[in-house]
Amino acid sequence: MKRFYLLFYLLLCYVLVLILKLKSEGAIISDNCSACHVPYPGMMEEVALVKAKYKYLLDDSLCVECHSSSDNATIKIVGGVKVPIVYNKVPPEKPLAGGNFYYVTKSDRKGHNVGRIASMDKKFKGFPPGYDRETDQSIIGYNPEKPLTCAGSNGCHGDRNIENPFESIRKSHHAKDRPIDGTTTAKSYRFLKGVKGYEDEEWNQNASAKKHNEYTSDIDKLCANCHGKFYKKDFLGKESPWFRHPVDIPLPDKGEYIKYLKYNPNAPVARQKVFSSPSEEVKPGEDKVTCLSCHVAHGSHYDSILRWDYDNIYTHEGQKEGCLICHTGKQD
Amino acid sequence: MSYRKTRLIYITILLLIIVCSSVKGQVKGRCKDCHTMHYSYEGEEVTYGNQTGPFPVLTKGGCIGCHGQNPSGTENIIIIGKARIPQVLHHMEDGDLAGGNFYYVADGYNPDYAKGHNVKGISLPENPPKIVPPGFIGGVVIPGGTNPSYWPQTQQLNCAGTWGCHGNRMIEDPYKSIYGAHHENDTIIDGVTVGKSYRFLFGIVGKEHKDWEYLATNSDHNGYKGSKSYDSMNTISYLCGECHTKFHPHPNLGGSNEVGFYGIMWVRHPSDVAFDFVHKGFAGSEYQGYTTYNLEAPVAFEKPTGKELFIDENSIVMCLSCHRAHASKYPDILRWDYSKISTKTPGQGCLICHTKKAEK
Repeated sequence: MKRFYLLFYLLLCYVLVLILKLKSEGAIISDNCSACHVPYPGMMEEVALVKAKYKYLLDDSLCVECHSSSDNATIKIVGGVKVPIVYNKVPPEKPLAGGNFYYVTKSDRKGHNVGRIASMDKKFKGFPPGYDRETDQSIIGYNPEKPLTCAGSNGCHGDRNIENPFESIRKSHHAKDRPIDGTTTAKSYRFLKGVKGYEDEEWNQNASAKKHNEYTSDIDKLCANCHGKFYKKDFLGKESPWFRHPVDIPLPDKGEYIKYLKYNPNAPVARQKVFSSPSEEVKPGEDKVTCLSCHVAHGSHYDSILRWDYDNIYTHEGQKEGCLICHTGKQD
Repeated sequence: MSYRKTRLIYITILLLIIVCSSVKGQVKGRCKDCHTMHYSYEGEEVTYGNQTGPFPVLTKGGCIGCHGQNPSGTENIIIIGKARIPQVLHHMEDGDLAGGNFYYVADGYNPDYAKGHNVKGISLPENPPKIVPPGFIGGVVIPGGTNPSYWPQTQQLNCAGTWGCHGNRMIEDPYKSIYGAHHENDTIIDGVTVGKSYRFLFGIVGKEHKDWEYLATNSDHNGYKGSKSYDSMNTISYLCGECHTKFHPHPNLGGSNEVGFYGIMWVRHPSDVAFDFVHKGFAGSEYQGYTTYNLEAPVAFEKPTGKELFIDENSIVMCLSCHRAHASKYPDILRWDYSKISTKTPGQGCLICHTKKAEK
């Protein structure tokens, strides 16, 4: 009997250690499965669907259901687990790093028109601006006939070599997700397969110079999958003077750029190596300009999903925000 | 200290702050008024001023996109937001700015190539040998270095750079040559940088009229820098001489061999010489008859202020006394119709300086 109790306690300890380890690795551990897993048709059981397209949308809505909120809070607790909110039905109080899809429901120009959140963009008709098949690393490629999705080959998250959004990200929420080395979807920055970076535990809510996500240039390559013409050097030019605003190049260590030394969450830079914690230091000549230096990923208050109102950035009038965070010579 | 004295000091300090903080040529206003980040808007590539891009430095149409954005329009200074943009190509009646107006040579607007410089993007190049600047001598000294040793028969004139006028002519790329100048603090025009050079003409100094001489008066105009005895490199005429080398008497350029001998026997019309340089002296010369600054025959000064009203022996003849820089209504980019200037037109054209040539 003693031997039985000893074995039982050892097993219990092992389970506890396993749970704690998984928690420390970011995997979702909760005793409340139903908080996330509600048996939608087609999810927990096989059901006959009238149209394949409908299933496609339905799968995508699973993401939206969990990561949305009817109030203005951008982090909610579900089943004891913190869930980042990417879509608030009302103006979000503190949009997270990716912004918020609330804005695209008000204007096509303010966000990505993800299915189940916003209808297809009236201007682009589902075709990503600047799309270049050669730059899209997905073996499937983007299909403009279908709506933009959270994940999969028509989306950003998950494995873009898998068409079905749900399949492309399946199990990632429960998998070991450390270190973030991009080898699996779960071990990728924000489940963006292949992307490395440091994840702020509050998704940049309350971000500051000392507390924020840390990006690498992987994030630019991800954007380039769909917006390749804004990334490829053939289109940007190869050196100053640039023809389009460059990304994935070091912030120059000369001129006005040398004054951008303290990290500003409103104009983040990408690091050349993966940081294990946030740094408030910006190193011109080393840290890189990234798509996210100016844009957010989901939706923003401003046109072109910018971090600021481009219509109201003025040069030489004392402003220090927006473009002028990097272009410091135009501040005064 | 009395209240009055204290108040006076405060007012003086305030005025000094206001004066010192007024950065006149530095472009103020919205980024978006001049720049487009990705050469796209609403998913489509954009063109500006009939120019197709993309354009360097993310500008909306490059130099001409901003400074010649509406050739058939009637605005010589376009105001966008807080930026006032001088137009070098427009169709405003009596609105030509100091440099003239490329409208007279612009393709698509009944151009006459004899009336202006054929700048790339505005006009097609002249056929050889006219594509080479008249009087060009290669390898002469220019601010920052030397001119190219020769001008290729296929090389069209640009706005800026080695093959242009503006920017640092030691840099071939027009945009690199002028890079950053629009955002530079140019309160002091000392020619040290492009931004601090007169009208971004590298190495040249002068006083810039706030409206590019639109509605200028004889006491409020551009202040052109000259040299009394053609020995400075920072004059407006030296800039012209960098390409039209044989027309400038500076020893670096055409020199006396090309232009003439010490005020006695000119081979070409002199520039960068003061009226007192005239043979037999200023006193009693016809130049004494030119007394009040005339916008039709402006002169340069050793220390220009732009407020000069009176002409004297120290006033300096320059290229721009007769010509404009960009284009004019008249052949040879002259300020007047040379074919109609005669002894019967006192006070006009050549006779503004050559006062004794008028019929009595």
